[in-house]
Amino acid sequence: MNALNPAPLIRLSGIVAGYAGQPVLDGVDLVLDPGERMVLLGANGAGKSTLLHVITGFIPASAGTVEAFGAVRRSEADFRAVRLRAGLVFQDADDQLFCPTVIEDVAFGPLNLGQSRDEAYETARATLRSLGLEPLADRITHRLSGGEKRLVSIAAVLAMKPEVLLLDEPTVGLDPDAYARLGEILAALPQAMIIVAHDAHFMASLATCALLLKDGRGHRGSIHQHPHHHSHAHVHFEHDVEGAMALGHVGHDS
Amino acid sequence: MSGKASAAAIFAENRDTGPLAAIDPRVRLVAAISFLVLLATLHSAPALAAALMAAMVVAVFARLPLGPTLRRLTAVEGFLLFLLLTLPLTMPGTELFRLFGLSVSEEGVNRAIVIIVRVNAGVLMAAALLSTMGTMRLAGAMNGIGVPPRIAHLFQLTVRYIAVFHEEYARLRRAMRARGFRAGSNRHSWRSLGHLLGMLVLRSAERAERVAWAMRARGFSGSFPAFSQRRLERPDYLLLLVWPALLLALAWLEFS
Amino acid sequence: MAHIPDGVLSVPVLVGGGVVTAAALAYALKKLDEDRLPRVAVLAALFFVASLISVAVGPTSVHLLLSGLMGLIIGWSAVPAVFVGLVLQAVFFGFGGVTTLGVNTMNIALPGVLWAMLFAPLLANANPRRAAMVGATVAALSVASTAVMVALSLTLSDASYTLSARIVLLSYGPLLVGEAILTGFACAFLARVSPDIFLAPAMRRGGKLAAS
Repeated sequence: MNALNPAPLIRLSGIVAGYAGQPVLDGVDLVLDPGERMVLLGANGAGKSTLLHVITGFIPASAGTVEAFGAVRRSEADFRAVRLRAGLVFQDADDQLFCPTVIEDVAFGPLNLGQSRDEAYETARATLRSLGLEPLADRITHRLSGGEKRLVSIAAVLAMKPEVLLLDEPTVGLDPDAYARLGEILAALPQAMIIVAHDAHFMASLATCALLLKDGRGHRGSIHQHPHHHSHAHVHFEHDVEGAMALGHVGHDS
Repeated sequence: MSGKASAAAIFAENRDTGPLAAIDPRVRLVAAISFLVLLATLHSAPALAAALMAAMVVAVFARLPLGPTLRRLTAVEGFLLFLLLTLPLTMPGTELFRLFGLSVSEEGVNRAIVIIVRVNAGVLMAAALLSTMGTMRLAGAMNGIGVPPRIAHLFQLTVRYIAVFHEEYARLRRAMRARGFRAGSNRHSWRSLGHLLGMLVLRSAERAERVAWAMRARGFSGSFPAFSQRRLERPDYLLLLVWPALLLALAWLEFS
Repeated sequence: MAHIPDGVLSVPVLVGGGVVTAAALAYALKKLDEDRLPRVAVLAALFFVASLISVAVGPTSVHLLLSGLMGLIIGWSAVPAVFVGLVLQAVFFGFGGVTTLGVNTMNIALPGVLWAMLFAPLLANANPRRAAMVGATVAALSVASTAVMVALSLTLSDASYTLSARIVLLSYGPLLVGEAILTGFACAFLARVSPDIFLAPAMRRGGKLAAS
């Protein structure tokens, strides 16, 4: 791989996918280079999740080519190899977590990679440790909070040491603490990633480029920052409660 | 049977297109049951041939699609393969020829043919009369012919949640594949599928609780609204006249 | 292979199965308050979907019956749950039959309910290992009983079915193994995550299942 002109990790060209007659994606091009963090934007139903599922081969493209890690991918066997290197984090963590305890769920991927039981558990422990999630290791997945489930589901994918992370709306439903934690974790990761996200904050702090899905096409954009005004709603309590609480962004960029 | 195909088969509500669509589901259900009960008693060649013909005619009236119907028939044949292969060998009688030193009897071959025809006539008639009406109308029809309302309501509610769980199951399986899982015959696969099964049971038990609460929150006190039945009309009475004639004719062919 | 189609069994066997299933349904529904119907429906739906899971056992693959697990989780309600599932299978997929609904429900549901009732007390405060053993035992016994009852249904219908009934009996081997293993793992899972789910209290006295 040439440092000046590295080969793209993922290259989609002319992808058409969705329902017959009414494709959600209608000729989408996408290039993800090493180290890039791409935000995938678009309205509900614009095909953001569909795009991630096309990359991982769960939804077949009726036209166009999927190129991943230097090879064109067509068959289920091709995509099986892609899935081992491109970690997909699902929109709903409950879709992903199915083992009794956190450590077992995180070890599930490494076991599928062919690691022995001991190796897989060691990998899982190391992954949790690196994310500061070690205290959760023996918790019952089903009883985690929404934010914990999200972080564990990301750990479960990272345990497979993917070269690319595909995150489907990772911030949805997180409280401010979990949200901040997720931002820190993602910012510290070396992997290239595609993040489906809605919020400006994530774009500003994480992304290096953006792709807007509109009318079935992808429109590439760059990320730059400029100051602007916004306002928050704050709750002030009559009695002293530790920590004030921000209720998300009410004002919009203008 | 693939999960996707099966869910689609259930939720293709009301695919009725042919002339049969005009007939009340209750009438069709009664017709199907009476035919299948009589069919269980038929043995003679003319009666079975007539029954198969009748099923084909009704299937045409129901506009059953050819491909899926043939697949349905062959799926049943798969089940019966053992039965059909062993009957000619095990039934005593006139020897037709010998196969690997075993005697193939004429009676056994005849019996096998009888069963093939009977099973196919049954599957075809059930498919023609019932499979296109959709689950909700089937539930109403069940209640309309005297099945206890609880079973009919249970049937309706179950269908509703099959859709929910099928999607949940599909998402979980997809997420497992996304992490490189391939089901095989080994401990890791069995443990993982067992966990999947346990997780589905747990979530469904909790969902069951929420469903019950949500229903009570909307004022549900334990009794479901009764199924509404429409009045029978001309085509219904027509079938109710034709059907006994068909059944009598079959019985006459068999027992006279 | 537990779904016997229309046109195979003799009338006395069909009537016998019908009577047993009708009685079991009546008993199960009598024990069931109408406002618990949604709960049974949800679990019936789950078991229907779970029976689509195909499990590789050696060179073959099997679809689960889950009658033992159903018995352990919903007790007698497994009878209407199986019945409803079989109606769907018969009408919309062409598996099984309409006149055989009684026989098939009896063959599949009854062993699960009865073996589960016998073994359920062992699940009280069971550790995961014991839950797995109990689950696997109930599942294996249920499948074995179903196999014997299917074979009997065939043999009683026609003496010349005997050989095929024996082959059918043997064909249940892989299912028995797969069902026992998966039920075992699922029960171990439940014993760890939600031990009070077995023969769910909610089914009997409307207690709370969702303890999360």
